[in-house]
Amino acid sequence: MNNKILIMGIGNVLLGDEGIGVHVINSLKKKTFPNYVDIVDGGTGGFHLLSYFHDYPKMIMIDATMDGNPPGTISVLKPKFASDFPTALSAHDIGLRDLIETAIISNGLPEIVLITISIDRIQNMVMTLSPEVKNSIPGIISLIQKILSSS
Amino acid sequence: MAKRIVVDPITRIEGHLRIEAEIENGKIVDAYSAGTMVRGIEIILKGRDPRDAWAFTERVCGVCTTVHALASCRTVENALDIKIPPNAELVRNLMFSAQQMQDHVIHFYHLHALDWVDVVSALKADPKETSRIAQSISNWAKSSPKYFSDLQKRLTNFVNSGQLGIFANGYWGHPAYKLPPEINLIGVAHYLEALEWQKEVIKIHTILGGKNPHPNYLVGGAPISINIDEANALNMERLNIIHKQLKDAKEFINQVYIPDILAVAPYYLEWSKIGGGLKNYLAYGDLPTNGYNDVSSFKLPRGIILDRNLNEVIDVDGTDEEQIKEYIAHSWYEYEDGSSGPKHPWHGETKLNYTGPKPPYEYLDVKNKYSWLKTPRWKDKPMEVGPLARMLVSYAKGVPEVKGLIDTVLGKLNAPASVLFSTLGRTAARAIEAAVVADWALEFYNQLISNIKNGDTRMANMEKWDPETWPKEAKGVGMTEAPRGALAHWISIKDKKIDNYQLVVPTTWNGSPRDANGNRSAFEESLIGTPVADPEQPLEILRTIHSFDPCLACSVHLYDEKGTYVHRVETF
Repeated sequence: MNNKILIMGIGNVLLGDEGIGVHVINSLKKKTFPNYVDIVDGGTGGFHLLSYFHDYPKMIMIDATMDGNPPGTISVLKPKFASDFPTALSAHDIGLRDLIETAIISNGLPEIVLITISIDRIQNMVMTLSPEVKNSIPGIISLIQKILSSS
Repeated sequence: MAKRIVVDPITRIEGHLRIEAEIENGKIVDAYSAGTMVRGIEIILKGRDPRDAWAFTERVCGVCTTVHALASCRTVENALDIKIPPNAELVRNLMFSAQQMQDHVIHFYHLHALDWVDVVSALKADPKETSRIAQSISNWAKSSPKYFSDLQKRLTNFVNSGQLGIFANGYWGHPAYKLPPEINLIGVAHYLEALEWQKEVIKIHTILGGKNPHPNYLVGGAPISINIDEANALNMERLNIIHKQLKDAKEFINQVYIPDILAVAPYYLEWSKIGGGLKNYLAYGDLPTNGYNDVSSFKLPRGIILDRNLNEVIDVDGTDEEQIKEYIAHSWYEYEDGSSGPKHPWHGETKLNYTGPKPPYEYLDVKNKYSWLKTPRWKDKPMEVGPLARMLVSYAKGVPEVKGLIDTVLGKLNAPASVLFSTLGRTAARAIEAAVVADWALEFYNQLISNIKNGDTRMANMEKWDPETWPKEAKGVGMTEAPRGALAHWISIKDKKIDNYQLVVPTTWNGSPRDANGNRSAFEESLIGTPVADPEQPLEILRTIHSFDPCLACSVHLYDEKGTYVHRVETF
């Protein structure tokens, strides 16, 4: 087993705040990380993402959630079941939950740390982030660095 | 009096689709298909650099991702009269083929098979008998009694855990399931094996497109350099990986997918009389072997079949403004001139105008506008698009590989060609296409290797990369075939920027509402006459709708925390 860690942000950048996971990845790409860390823009990847769940023993995932908290709220959870993940927010196609369920039945899940960012709404046909959500990015990045340094 | 039932959402598809069907004496007498999400990519693209459009369009969906990028590059190349080098064509063909094979397998096993395969029944299968059947239909190695009994134990634990997961949405035990437990168990085994296989084959995209999902494309060619000795280029090691994946894909399709179709079909032959729907079929075709402008060189030919007449294939021209046009008579849009169309996509408009009921609602107002999909027509005729349309056009054009395989499959099922015009025919056509494409992909690979050996490493034509070389105004159309059907992008370029951009996607052809003349589109027409044994469990509707492989993901899909549907599109 390797000791690689994958940081994967998912979301649709055509839907405003819903794309926050991908915006975080774009910011991370400007920084340097140890060589056992890989960074992937999961976009709206659906089934295309399945191999990542099998190729990495540990993943840090970043996704938007509409959980009713103020926009920009950062939460961390260690999901074990598909039902621990946010419900399909957008054109994540075969939703993230379906993907997780598929990963579980085919090979089991790696260790996952899920970072969610609360959003208020999905802005259709907008490629920019709202100020609240955009301002959460530095906090998300330092959180990721903290998770990496403790693992 | 007809009773109207609503299936919303149709599960196991990409995106959000609602079907309202009227049932009388156990059969569907009328149906309405509604895309209840809005797609607005066209609005985002206005004013942008045409060379960037592919990167935006491929984000609309996580499934058809590469085909949108391909259509987009082609529409710009068509507008600016750019011819790409042969190697770039081969790279695009290889990515197209990988996408087609992966998507067809995922569609069959993970989105459609559970309409035919009863997972719970598989628990009752005899592993020895399962092994005997599996070995009688294929040489696939994973077929021992122990393999099936281990799998059955795993499945039993899974079902007993109560976390049914991906199998949670089935109508298990429904009387319309006809397979013996042993074939159900084979189906479940291959469901899981297909999951493993698909994640390998798509690595072809990672190699040729630099990344996956959302691989890179390039107007004028392919963004990859060939250097067989260079670590960061398309080198021998990477070419060998592609070769292995293509050989594995061919084996999986021929040893698993095709035999499974042949094993399942005899139990569902009544579905060769159900779900036919429209009698017109449209394919834009793809896989050029002598440049995209030479349509006669396409492996998958372009053309139209009218009234199921397989003796004639009619030409289709995306640049002829009298051919393909879109109505909005029943769609939540408005045209500036106040009409409901039809308009050719070069004159297309994307102005949203939701006039439907306020959610939550019981029924849509189907007399008026009831969908976010526009209604495309070819010379005012509704068309079915997808693998069946492609295979019928290929069959009618006499493409030898397609004709050979279709005749073999029909021979094994002892059925005439007319069974193709059905739900079962659509599902079989998809498998047949996967097998044919698997062979062609290896041809493309060999051609690429041969070009490299001959010293041709050209990958891009950058003569017109600089916008200063462009005319003040230009128009283009880029056509391709998404796994689920004919896909085209239309562009107008003005002063080096996108002035207008319109997508007509396959599920818009198939899943659109009625046109201004009241004619149904493919989904709606295909449901007429379909029996529904239990309106509470409309498995039969799912079978036919899934057989089209609907994809509406290029739009908004939105739930609240509790999973109830909320309609909150900002533009209302």
